Amino acid sequence: MKYLEKSITEIHEALLNKTVTSEQLIKESLEKSHEIQKKYNAFVTILDNAKPTEVTNELISGIPFGVKDNYSTKNVLSTGSSNTLKDYIPFFTATSIDNLFKKGAVMVNKTVLDEFGMGGTGTTGHTGIVKNPWNPLHMCAGSSAGSACAVATGVYPYATGSDTGDSIRKPAAYCGIVGYKPTYGMISRYGLFPFASSLDHCGVLTRNVEDAAIVVNTMKGKDKNDMTSWDSSGVDLTKTLKNDVTGLKLAYIKELCDIKKYKNADATLKEHLENFQRTLKICKELGMEVEEVSVDEKLLNSIASTYVVISCAEATSNMSNLTGIIFGPREEGKNYVEMIKNYRTKNFSPLIKRRFIIGSYVLQKENKDRYFFNAQRIRRLLVDEWKKIFESFDAVILPVGTGPAPLLEGSKDQIDNSTKALEEHLQVGNFGGFPSITIPNGFINNLPVGVNITGNCYEDEKVLNIAYQLESKMNYKNQIAKENN
Amino acid sequence: MKYKALIGIEMHCQITETNTKAFSSAKNSYTIIPNENVRPVDMAFPGTLPVVNKEAVKKSLMASMILNCKQPDYIYFERKNYYYPDLPKGFQITQETKPAPVGICGYLDYYVNDEIKRVRINNIHLEEDSASLDHKNNASTIDYNRAGVPLLELVTYPDFRSAEEAVSFLETMRCIYQYAGISEGDSKKGQIRCDVNVSIMDEDIDETKEENWGTKIEIKNVNSFSAVKDAINYEIQRQIELKETGTYDEMEQQTRRWDDEKQETVYMRSKVDAIDYKYFIEPNIPKFKIKQEWLDEIRGLIPELPNERKEKYISKYELNKKDAETLVKEKNISDFFERCIELGCEAKEASNWITTRLLGYLNKNDLNINDIYMTPEMLTEICLIVKNGKISTQQAKEVFAYVLEERKTPQEIIKEKGFEQNSNEEEIIELVNKILEENEQAVNDYKNGKTNIIGYLVGQVLKASKGKFNPGLTAKILNEEIRKR
Amino acid sequence: MSKFTKEMVEDYADKLLIGLTEEESQMVLNEFDVIDQSIDVINQIPNIDLVEPMSFCLDDLEVDLREDEIEESISIEELLQNCDETSDREVEVIKVVG
Repeated sequence: MKYLEKSITEIHEALLNKTVTSEQLIKESLEKSHEIQKKYNAFVTILDNAKPTEVTNELISGIPFGVKDNYSTKNVLSTGSSNTLKDYIPFFTATSIDNLFKKGAVMVNKTVLDEFGMGGTGTTGHTGIVKNPWNPLHMCAGSSAGSACAVATGVYPYATGSDTGDSIRKPAAYCGIVGYKPTYGMISRYGLFPFASSLDHCGVLTRNVEDAAIVVNTMKGKDKNDMTSWDSSGVDLTKTLKNDVTGLKLAYIKELCDIKKYKNADATLKEHLENFQRTLKICKELGMEVEEVSVDEKLLNSIASTYVVISCAEATSNMSNLTGIIFGPREEGKNYVEMIKNYRTKNFSPLIKRRFIIGSYVLQKENKDRYFFNAQRIRRLLVDEWKKIFESFDAVILPVGTGPAPLLEGSKDQIDNSTKALEEHLQVGNFGGFPSITIPNGFINNLPVGVNITGNCYEDEKVLNIAYQLESKMNYKNQIAKENN
Repeated sequence: MKYKALIGIEMHCQITETNTKAFSSAKNSYTIIPNENVRPVDMAFPGTLPVVNKEAVKKSLMASMILNCKQPDYIYFERKNYYYPDLPKGFQITQETKPAPVGICGYLDYYVNDEIKRVRINNIHLEEDSASLDHKNNASTIDYNRAGVPLLELVTYPDFRSAEEAVSFLETMRCIYQYAGISEGDSKKGQIRCDVNVSIMDEDIDETKEENWGTKIEIKNVNSFSAVKDAINYEIQRQIELKETGTYDEMEQQTRRWDDEKQETVYMRSKVDAIDYKYFIEPNIPKFKIKQEWLDEIRGLIPELPNERKEKYISKYELNKKDAETLVKEKNISDFFERCIELGCEAKEASNWITTRLLGYLNKNDLNINDIYMTPEMLTEICLIVKNGKISTQQAKEVFAYVLEERKTPQEIIKEKGFEQNSNEEEIIELVNKILEENEQAVNDYKNGKTNIIGYLVGQVLKASKGKFNPGLTAKILNEEIRKR
Repeated sequence: MSKFTKEMVEDYADKLLIGLTEEESQMVLNEFDVIDQSIDVINQIPNIDLVEPMSFCLDDLEVDLREDEIEESISIEELLQNCDETSDREVEVIKVVG
């Protein structure tokens, strides 16, 4: 029957017509979870005793979904994929997840991420690496690796993600699905384990744009427990999806998309950029205007460092509560310093430890201006640059990354001098809090690739509208991952 | 003396008069039951976020105004990062001088004996208190009731020249905090804590030039006003001795702590080892615009402060300066006094009762005026009963004491102890004649023109009545009866 | 010659209460160099020091402060359910001195 490979509205119809029950969906989803776990290691916890809920007029009622394991879930293990919290069972549920529960959504598993979201490979979680369901020799990317893998394989129609640099939007591209993070503060972050608070966004991974709109519609809302959340009660993300896009204006950045800018471009990059140009052509066929714009290369080349400096600084502070004193496995020590140090040394992965040191360094009094404040200044310049584009354009459209998912073997999650702006530009969406969505736009070497649409703050409806129309002119809507080799 | 001292104070005072904590909606209240007033953010559970208490900000701004500080256009908070078991988040939310705390560049005029002095205020800021540690034999226990309680820290310039000045200022400030409804200001409950800095310089050098200042020694955790006095005096003496022995120049800038038992300051760490707190703006608290209307509203809410009350007591109620000062020293006492006047008690009467008997009782028993049975209503009643001649002043003193001891109302005491004055004329006439018969000589003296003997005879009658007869009525009757003879 | 040294990295690690292996601290050193180079690029941007550092996504967000209303305290069982060492109603740690 494979109901779970369908869209939310289709499953909802089936539930209403009683051709399937919530119980059957959950059973199917749990069976699939175990199968996917064996093949790709996507889950920290599978909730075998998940209970069906009443089917109501709410689209998501009775339908199973997955939760990234950095969301706090009451009475369900919530680890952040870190050994520091390997036994942590919260007594409260994140606001956005609670919003889904209230409408009858059924959580069936908790998905693997890069430890606390700090990483882009899906390989640093404490339960091991997550493999790409299109080809298990490749990565899913991260940090929402498990969520992307599970949605792509049809475990359920959607899973929540979180996005600090591109942690929803890149794994979505590598797994051939949709990844959407709305404007900063549209979804409450209360209960999301923080990585870098000023960049962290909640969001969702789905197989089509409409599902993304449906799920975020439910997750969003002003929360008294999150001062950065705002009232979006007047916004219905599904309402304007099907609007005509004729006359809307899209910009793409020459310095990122022009193959001539890359001296040693390989065949994959060439194909990726050509494929992007084909997508632009579809946009034009839809009646949109597409123009090339120019952004100072110096700024573009600073994106990655700006991100590293700001995110590491905030992270080192955000994770100072991880001492093993109130929660987490307590360590021994001659005194409290030793006790905390043993806990942190033993339980943090090497990647995180390195990033903490960078974060700490850039905040030191004598370094703060050169590193931290300068990064925050570049953040503003980049955001201003994007906002300037939004004055004349409805959205920015850009390819996601430099191609499809890299191989797991030999991939490194280090800050590398050769990192290209093309690989990291999605981080600007986090700098500015912009609504940003990735949709699949083709295949290279039998692996999916994606395209990203980013708009100005509070213009989520427009971004989703463009993405929906573009999606409808391509052949990748609702695709399910299958190993081709 | 060859030297003069420059003394500065950092005064931390809990805001006790809000319902909830600074960044959490847990109850802000002192309790002996551990972990009774705790919300998730107070123990830094992963995913929890701070939410700023409007009332705490309001009270902070009020304090800023009273201290003649400049208020900022926007309020930000910052993280002060360090590890200690009483700090669950691994950072304290506070306000550094940049971008802007609730107040900067202020001053306060205060009295030392009869002399008016001015101290400049560098800044005043709002922050959160830490948890409290309790040390047992081999372990320490952590109670999070105090974690997150709003704390006002004010930092003065080194404008004090003596321990007396510093303590007078602290007493004035405590008084202001009480009057303004900001804090109970009880050091016994740890609500006020101070850090003190002391340097000395030669008497004849210009102290207005900062380059002339001596080496600044900071003394941490001085937790009572008497300790402030002792610590300053000890430190001045210690530094003078270093000067005298020629080793002052070797002394490095350092932090010391006050050892209350040994009555000395003890070396903690050198300036070189100062902790770098890696301050940065708290990203979970958006900057908040302080509107002029709000400031105006808060200014209008500043209640009458001690100095204003003192002036009023002298000019309006014609109290002497000493009594006026005594009354305003504690807000509770002053409020008690004002309530008595509202109830119809004469100001001087009330003042006499309070400054002598009531305060005497409180001091002797180490009690707070709110903890005793006597209310302004009861004291006023006693005054009025005396005025109506129902009981004598002497009896009133006894009633007063009984009310406190037996926790009964004045009416109950008067009834039970038979304090009611006797105005039964027949009884008085009978006793008067008995006394006149016993004092034949005195009656003869009276008849021979020695009329002032009357006073003696009235005294004898009252004595015989055990003070129960109304003295006026007794005198009248005695005059009548003696003439009959 | 890098301006970053192994001792420096170890000192930072120590202050963060984490221990590093030899290999890890070498990796940090390499990363420092990469960051430093790109910060050099940033510093070449004219008048960069005149730009106001950006700390929030939504610089213009207007927020309300929280009304001073008490919310019920969390039960002691829930507060301590993840704590490995407790004593009655409190969290217990090895004796804290100084």
